Amino acid sequence: MPDQTPTSIIKARDLHKCYWVGTMPFPALHGINLDIEPGEFTVLAGRSGSGKSTLLNLIGALESADNGSVEVLGENILAMGRDQRTRFRLQNIGFVFQAYNLIRVFSARENVAYVCQLQGKGRKKSMEIADHWLHEVEIGHLGYRRPDQLSGGQQQRVAVARALASEPKIILADEPTANLDSMTGRRLIHLMQDLNRRLGTTFLISSHDPDVKQAAGRLIKLADGQIVDAWDNIPKPPIAPASACPVENLPLTKRLRNYLREARKKALNKRGHKMNEDQH
Amino acid sequence: MTRSTSTLNSIVLTVALRNLLGHLRRTLLTVGAIAVGLAALIFLWGFNEGLHRNMLGNFQNAIIGAVQIHHQGFFQHPELSRAIRNPERIVTGLEKAGVARYSRRLETFGLAVSDTTTQGVMLIGMDPTQEQLVTELAKRIGIGRFLQPGDDYKLILGATTANNLQAKLGDEVIIIGYDRYGAMVAESFTLAGIITSGEMGLDSGMAITSLSTLQEMVDLPEQVTTFVINVEEKRIPSLVDELDHALRGESLEIMPWYSMFPVMKEWIILHNGFLYLFIGVVIFIVLAGELNTMLLSMLERTREFGVLMAIGTSRRQVAMMMLAEAVLIGIIGIASGILLGYVIILVTAEIGIDLSILLGSTSRFYVDPLIYPHLKLDHLGLTIGAILLASILAGIYPAWRASLLQPAEAVRNG
Ligand SMILES: Nc1ncnc2c1ncn2[C@@H]1O[C@H](COP(=O)(O)OP(=O)(O)OP(=O)(O)O)[C@@H](O)[C@H]1O
Ligand SMILES: [Mg+2]
Repeated sequence: MPDQTPTSIIKARDLHKCYWVGTMPFPALHGINLDIEPGEFTVLAGRSGSGKSTLLNLIGALESADNGSVEVLGENILAMGRDQRTRFRLQNIGFVFQAYNLIRVFSARENVAYVCQLQGKGRKKSMEIADHWLHEVEIGHLGYRRPDQLSGGQQQRVAVARALASEPKIILADEPTANLDSMTGRRLIHLMQDLNRRLGTTFLISSHDPDVKQAAGRLIKLADGQIVDAWDNIPKPPIAPASACPVENLPLTKRLRNYLREARKKALNKRGHKMNEDQH
Repeated sequence: MTRSTSTLNSIVLTVALRNLLGHLRRTLLTVGAIAVGLAALIFLWGFNEGLHRNMLGNFQNAIIGAVQIHHQGFFQHPELSRAIRNPERIVTGLEKAGVARYSRRLETFGLAVSDTTTQGVMLIGMDPTQEQLVTELAKRIGIGRFLQPGDDYKLILGATTANNLQAKLGDEVIIIGYDRYGAMVAESFTLAGIITSGEMGLDSGMAITSLSTLQEMVDLPEQVTTFVINVEEKRIPSLVDELDHALRGESLEIMPWYSMFPVMKEWIILHNGFLYLFIGVVIFIVLAGELNTMLLSMLERTREFGVLMAIGTSRRQVAMMMLAEAVLIGIIGIASGILLGYVIILVTAEIGIDLSILLGSTSRFYVDPLIYPHLKLDHLGLTIGAILLASILAGIYPAWRASLLQPAEAVRNG
């Protein structure tokens, strides 16, 4: 490909992903192309259901795509097996989720030290690292508290500290401010921005919070599973998204799958006619 | 690699342990259930064993001993023509085998006759000194006294027989028997003691006199029909083997108590069988209770496991967290159960368990009203093993379920 950027730390090409609920397909992503440079502070914006979490999960090697490729740090993560992905995440990617990030029965520093211990560092060393990162996220004095003794914002800071403690190249944060009041959310974003500047860690954050978008070094707009230039300019995909969902991914016997494929083709044809009529 | 592996194991263990401590009430309830179940089993094993030992002991030292030696076929057909040919060889054999507690007897059928009635009896000639080494018959004499060395034509009867004959202490009782030629002989005896054991087998059907008296009466001087041996239970099989070997060619039958009275042995096996059934029930309860706890623990931590997997915890580690939790519960439960059960055994073995409410104050079926529990290590080991296995099983299913979690889904749905 001519537009290939050799320096990209994240490179997604023609990503497709459907979810299945029973035999009903729910298209989540179709045709995502994305390049992210090392050290970028990128915000992924979009309405609820636009596919933000799905995209982050694919980039974070948490899920498999139906189609397309994702390269992270030059590695084709979709080709990896489950255990290989787990190791890849441990070494290269930090995660911050919307809520419930922490082990309830561990103190803040134990939560942060956990990843270091997973990486094989000794307990003492891991605790030192944890104290360092808790200090970096400005809650060094709260290391001995358990999650239920911390505010929501403080908990998210512990999650950020943990994400950093494994010294990953990339941090993926899925709506990290969604459960926080706007003031606390803004401060968390500024903290992450500051860390991004000082450490050079690449941040990819999903959010529909205007404050977060404002802080973005780069804003990527996601609508109906596609990247768009403007919210009112959503391209019409060449084929109906649902019909692009591969039946092969259904966990069924071959015979049943073939049967469903035929049945769905018929149904989609009918619906396609109707939709065309509606538009005329 | 080894270093990182051990760190990993320690973090997995830490998570499991913290989680148990974090849900202290639930943990204590599950641990407590296991402990109480195990302690109950330990107590039951101990009580059972104590009961069996008591019963077997009483049964053996009442009259039959642990092992008897007769001429081939005598046990089925106790006739004087089946007297032992070479008693000296048996004595030598017993000495070689290190057996000091044995007694010689002469046994034959007879009729006890009083003014009003006659009673068929087993006529037993005993050496009063030797007999004390083997049985505790002397202790069961309620009226009068046991035989003494030098007693001639003195008789001991069971209470029921004495009653039927309406014979009182000091009365004369005529005994009719057959001598070794089959000729009828009759002698007069003085009633010296009455057995009041409460056991049917002892209180009726027996007439005991001294060995020399009976030998004289049936004209079999120096002859005996029976050797009765007293040894510890666990020595019996090897002793039987040794004697079999040493006395080969003498056409003898060497019979442990359980060959003579197999019903007794079968009763003990059956009785233990109920305990195995009970173990099964307790194991099932432990399994169900702990499985419930573990599934609860797994379900409420789905989101947490999702996050842990996302940040790099492997499926194996997540499974190990669950399994470690289950095994830890099992181990703590077992340890407290052993402690509790052991204390119960110690205390009851010291003071005894009084069954007199159930049995009355005298023994019944050779069981004393006071039972002293005794714990056998193989019973304990078996029970512990079964409970440990149950707690591992209770962890395997939730561990497997946890390892199948998809991190993205688990984080999303919790
Ligand atoms: N497990 C699932 N089963 C079925 N459909 C799903 C599943 N996960 C996501 N989807 C669907 O895929 C689409 C994209 O979902 P996704 O969670 O990526 O959106 P999102 O932008 O993160 O939304 P939100 O802002 O609400 O988190 C939605 O239509 C959603 O309903
Ligand atoms: Mg989302």
